[in-house]
Amino acid sequence: MKNQHSIEESHSEHITSYREHFGTWVGLILLTLMTVFISVFGADLRTITVATALFIASVKALVVAYYFMHLKYDPRIYRVLITIVMSLFTVFLIMVILDYLTR
Amino acid sequence: MNHHFTLPNSGHNYDAKASKMGMWLFLYTELILFGGLFLVYMVYRSLNQDAFLLASFNLNVWMGTANTIVLLTSSMTVAMAISALQKGDPKKSIFLLWMTILAALVFLVVKYFEWSAKFEHGLFPGMDHFNQLPNGEKLYFNLYFFMTGLHGLHVIVGGIFIVIVVFKIKSGKVNKDRYQLLENSGLYWHLVDLIWIYLFPLFYLIH
Amino acid sequence: MTAIATQQINYLNVKKGIWSWIFTLDHKRIGLLYLYSISTFFLVGVILGVLMRLELFNPGRDIMEAKTYNQVFTLHGVIMIFLFIIPSIPAAFGNFFLPIMLGTDDVSLPRLNLLSWWLYVIGALFALSTLVFGGGPADTGWTFYAPYSVKTGTNVSMSVMAAFVLGFSSILTGLNFIVTIHRLRTPGMTFNKMPLFAWALYATSWIQVLATPIIGITLLMIVVERVFGIGLFDPSMGGDPILYQHLFWIYSHPAVYIMALPAMGVVSEIIPTFSQRTIFGYKPIAYSSMAIAFVGYFVWGHHMFTSGMSGSAAIIFSILTFLVAIPTAIKVFNWLATLYKGSIDIKVPLLFALAFIFNFLIGGLTGLVVGALAVDVHVHDTYFVVGHFHYVMFGGTGFAFFGALHYWFPKIWGKMYNMTRAYVAFGLLFVGFNILYFPMLILGVMGMPRRYYDYLPQFHTLNQISTIGSWILVVGLLLMIYNLIAGYRKGPKAAGNPWHGITLEWQTDSPPPLHNFDKMPELPEGGPYNYPNAKSE
Repeated sequence: MKNQHSIEESHSEHITSYREHFGTWVGLILLTLMTVFISVFGADLRTITVATALFIASVKALVVAYYFMHLKYDPRIYRVLITIVMSLFTVFLIMVILDYLTR
Repeated sequence: MNHHFTLPNSGHNYDAKASKMGMWLFLYTELILFGGLFLVYMVYRSLNQDAFLLASFNLNVWMGTANTIVLLTSSMTVAMAISALQKGDPKKSIFLLWMTILAALVFLVVKYFEWSAKFEHGLFPGMDHFNQLPNGEKLYFNLYFFMTGLHGLHVIVGGIFIVIVVFKIKSGKVNKDRYQLLENSGLYWHLVDLIWIYLFPLFYLIH
Repeated sequence: MTAIATQQINYLNVKKGIWSWIFTLDHKRIGLLYLYSISTFFLVGVILGVLMRLELFNPGRDIMEAKTYNQVFTLHGVIMIFLFIIPSIPAAFGNFFLPIMLGTDDVSLPRLNLLSWWLYVIGALFALSTLVFGGGPADTGWTFYAPYSVKTGTNVSMSVMAAFVLGFSSILTGLNFIVTIHRLRTPGMTFNKMPLFAWALYATSWIQVLATPIIGITLLMIVVERVFGIGLFDPSMGGDPILYQHLFWIYSHPAVYIMALPAMGVVSEIIPTFSQRTIFGYKPIAYSSMAIAFVGYFVWGHHMFTSGMSGSAAIIFSILTFLVAIPTAIKVFNWLATLYKGSIDIKVPLLFALAFIFNFLIGGLTGLVVGALAVDVHVHDTYFVVGHFHYVMFGGTGFAFFGALHYWFPKIWGKMYNMTRAYVAFGLLFVGFNILYFPMLILGVMGMPRRYYDYLPQFHTLNQISTIGSWILVVGLLLMIYNLIAGYRKGPKAAGNPWHGITLEWQTDSPPPLHNFDKMPELPEGGPYNYPNAKSE
């Protein structure tokens, strides 16, 4: 039943090198240490630490999605769709918090 | 009667792109699933800022940091396993996948110690210490147990998928030309990592 | 052997036996599995609904206690919504016809398709198990509002798990359709040459994939709160029940479009076929499906105007709600413009499509009434709302489902039903439906609250009219079912293309062969609805 002829064309060509994976990992670890450092030793800057922590988390998430999850080398539609999904979710957040902030 | 006409666009072809797209769509549902919890977190955090801060001192930042590093490393090994199989080196791929599973186990063991410490302090909902907490801190612990618990469940499921893939590589069903199953398990594993990337600062780093 | 040689081998007679059905990977058989299971649960839901109408025939207790009534309307809602309407058109007719209309032989992920039907069955068993185990069926209403759903002694956990599993099944179907539409269209069929039913399913699938997880996690929170005491909505722990309502409606309002959009897709197929005329405004109809899906995400708050939500948020939700009316009206005007100067052939499927427009118009306009802030304070939680959503869901989607059944019946089974009986059944259904639900709109404006087994004496007459309407509806339903079963068993053989349609499903045999097409399907020149004999203006 399974048709074999489409195998060659069906996988994407790009193979990420071990070096690139390792470089990505180094970057992620540095970001992690940075966010822990800011949080533990910058405790008096409360709101700023929360904002930076979330900002750094988002950078890390982007790095994971872009390099480990291969989005950088995937067709554009994957990047478009994930952007739409995350925007949709952000609107959910905004509309719900709007209710709580204006009560 | 029995002529073999097959459409070129048949749904029975091996179509790696289709299964990859399906996996991404599934990841969207996972993101939104956890998104619902992040939404609840956002609301209760905004209503109970100080209580969340106080409650977060009960968590051990270093354990959280260790687990973050463990998960990031496992993300790297699973990504490398894909590269290895693509380059036609199944042995190396299998080795890297076992490393990933090892990391998953380390993560779960650390999590186990964290949770049992909370149980010892009576911080699980319904226990004595928990019942004496103010409302905001109760919500913090409710969310902590729910979100890390659900995340832990995903770690287990992702680990099982990777074990299955290891055996499929051994039997040759997943190979240099047909590795979508490995790539999909890898994507799922990265998602587990992705969720943790947000859970970590939201629970451990709000000092 | 000779019998088989003279008749075409098709998907129905290629294999026999129950195992060849419940473990099939053929999208047509899975579509039929869905159709049969969905229809069964529809009938169960109808019985529960009729029992409620009987209870409401007179004020006071007629046939059941208050608590039983609460459980019956909850079960009626859970069954009708999660087991009937949400999967109805997409899972049954979508599974069967989407691949054929795209000119391919299956969905992209056939095994996932089978899994989603099995999840449906498991979810259904969960829902039914509450009849026997632990405290009986939930009495919360299908909305499972916290904190009552956390406190009540009835078996809410199992009902909620049923909805969770059914949601998973729905996600997998939607996911499969999106991948299929992206990967398996026949060569030459661009997105803008797809049949409108495929467009409607595409929009629906995106809602299924992106909205359903929210209800999944919300229902999981209810279960975890009941089982482990991890209370996220418990006011005694600082939780906010209104947050539950937010989360619930973030899914459940888009879910209304999961129910309505496929129905609109069916109507967009039936109308050009029976007017033998190019659809008026192909792109507006196609894109308005996407627009409804998109705007539909941001209107959930209109279910919560009286809940204690902030006034500013309520105003925003009300405005957005009114926006949804625009793409919906675009569709209605385009359907009517398609009929204009067409060679209209009034057959039963077209009557169902027209009834859809009529009922949906009432349902939609009453929707604007409840979407208006000031009026909603008056009619919230009254029979007006019950009337409104039954006009949308039953009068709209239900009638489109019947229309699809009559439209594609000859293609699915290769037989034809009795047209005269079908006309009579349609008439009874349409009249019965309106007698049943129109009085509810009036009762609501008069102030009769919903979800009570009892009512004040001044509502007596209208309630009796409504109950009598339910009897007419049931007679019509039974006649329709009898007619279809008789058509399946002894009906005359149907031609491959009895309605002279030109979308791809009419190019293959009736019933379709195992792999749908024995030769390459040919796309009609100049778009999917470019009828060759249509008079150009």
